[in-house]
Amino acid sequence: MLVPDDLRYSKDHEWARPAGTTVRVGITDYAQDALGDVVFVDLPAVGKVVSAGDVLGEVESTKSVSEVYAPVGGTVVAVNASLSEAPEKLNADPYGDGWLCDIEVADADAPSSLLDADAYRRLTGS
Amino acid sequence: MTPAPAESGPPEVPTSLRHTPLVDAHVALGAKLVEFGGWEMPVAYPSGTVAEHRACRTAAVAFDVSHLGTVRVGGPDAFDLLQRTLTNDLARIGPGRAQYTHLLDDDGSVADDIIVWWVDDGWFDVMPNASNTSRVVAALGGTDTTSARAVIAVQGPDARARLEKVAPDAASVGRFCVSRFAWDGVECTAAGTGYTGEDGVECAVPAAAARSFWEAVLAEGVVPAGLGARDTLRLEAGLPLHGHELGPGISPLQAGLGWVVGWAKGDFKGRAALERERAAGPARSLRGLLADGRQPPREGAHVRSGDAVVGRVTSGNFSPMLERGIAMAFVDTSAGVDVGDRLVAVVRGREVPVTVTKPRFWPPAAGGAAVPSGAGGS
Repeated sequence: MLVPDDLRYSKDHEWARPAGTTVRVGITDYAQDALGDVVFVDLPAVGKVVSAGDVLGEVESTKSVSEVYAPVGGTVVAVNASLSEAPEKLNADPYGDGWLCDIEVADADAPSSLLDADAYRRLTGS
Repeated sequence: MTPAPAESGPPEVPTSLRHTPLVDAHVALGAKLVEFGGWEMPVAYPSGTVAEHRACRTAAVAFDVSHLGTVRVGGPDAFDLLQRTLTNDLARIGPGRAQYTHLLDDDGSVADDIIVWWVDDGWFDVMPNASNTSRVVAALGGTDTTSARAVIAVQGPDARARLEKVAPDAASVGRFCVSRFAWDGVECTAAGTGYTGEDGVECAVPAAAARSFWEAVLAEGVVPAGLGARDTLRLEAGLPLHGHELGPGISPLQAGLGWVVGWAKGDFKGRAALERERAAGPARSLRGLLADGRQPPREGAHVRSGDAVVGRVTSGNFSPMLERGIAMAFVDTSAGVDVGDRLVAVVRGREVPVTVTKPRFWPPAAGGAAVPSGAGGS
């Protein structure tokens, strides 16, 4: 499974990519592989305020449905609306075109409390 | 993210799983294996369920369905035994034909749905669902020959053309016909049956020859497909799955399968209860639900008309051909719901608007307004 070195990870298989005060969020390659073909994504509303660990949305495959949790707290400032018609992007490019949303964080250090790539590889046996 | 089953159901904790003669071939292909009915089976290969589904609608796929049981019933009394045990009327067919039928409980519930291959005079291969094989043996006797063979289902519009290159005598078997064929020096059985809504052939091959037969079929460009695609294909085609649309408390009449009942023959197990239900009219009936969008109504979701709960979803998923959520649901007859009515399925607290259809989504009905034109052309 692909685990890019430059990202941070939650134990629940979300990734976080900090860029200034904004953190881009998605699900990991491990997560998309476990789900199988994703057929529906329920995204949060822009403007939604979340704490770390809150439910951000749902990702549904032909065989299962999973809640996605916010790896960091803050305000949802953008969502990947293209997923509503093309949720298969989560399978094809989980760290790129398959991103879920951008969260503006109150605490710019928040991502540093997440797992680094090595720790996430150990967690998943990748 | 916490993966959880999309459909509710009793958790099964198997102690030891059975394997088909093809398990090593599935692992070599990179299949993801899951528990199903006491067996470890491929749910999908690396191309994924949606791609496998579309390959079956547009070309040809092969499923390992060796987990289905084979119960061999033979001898001079076999015909009469099957006639008084199963619902359908074998007098409608003859040797060399296959028939879909039900085993009922005394209350008219469907204990199992079954395909009978009438292979030859006095030789019936009765094929129950994997987890119901022992129940069928208890009802019929016979010999459980499941572990002696693999069953490979080649399905799709190109299935026969591809299979012809491997086993021409199998490829030419008629729809709902059964014939013997030789492959690589071993005797096999082919039936023009399947569970996808497409034409195809199911081949029972002795276990020792199963892997080489499977690989010969795949070498003709047939795509391996797993149980994930098998489920979305059967749902799209409106075919019932035991434990969902059939099972305890569900009669063939409720499921819209009155044609499976041989009313013109004599007594059979469950007949009295079924006759009472026929006279009174079934209290609920199976309907299709077509969602407006992609989100599938899922098993267990309540179906509402206004504020009233009028039914419950038995199976729901995403339709790869329609690119919309689809489901089957039992709807109370007293609610007076008709095809075309607008209802709501309540899926994990969210209201999913749906249109009532016949419980069959593919092929699209000619002029059917519920089906978007041009969908699923990929």
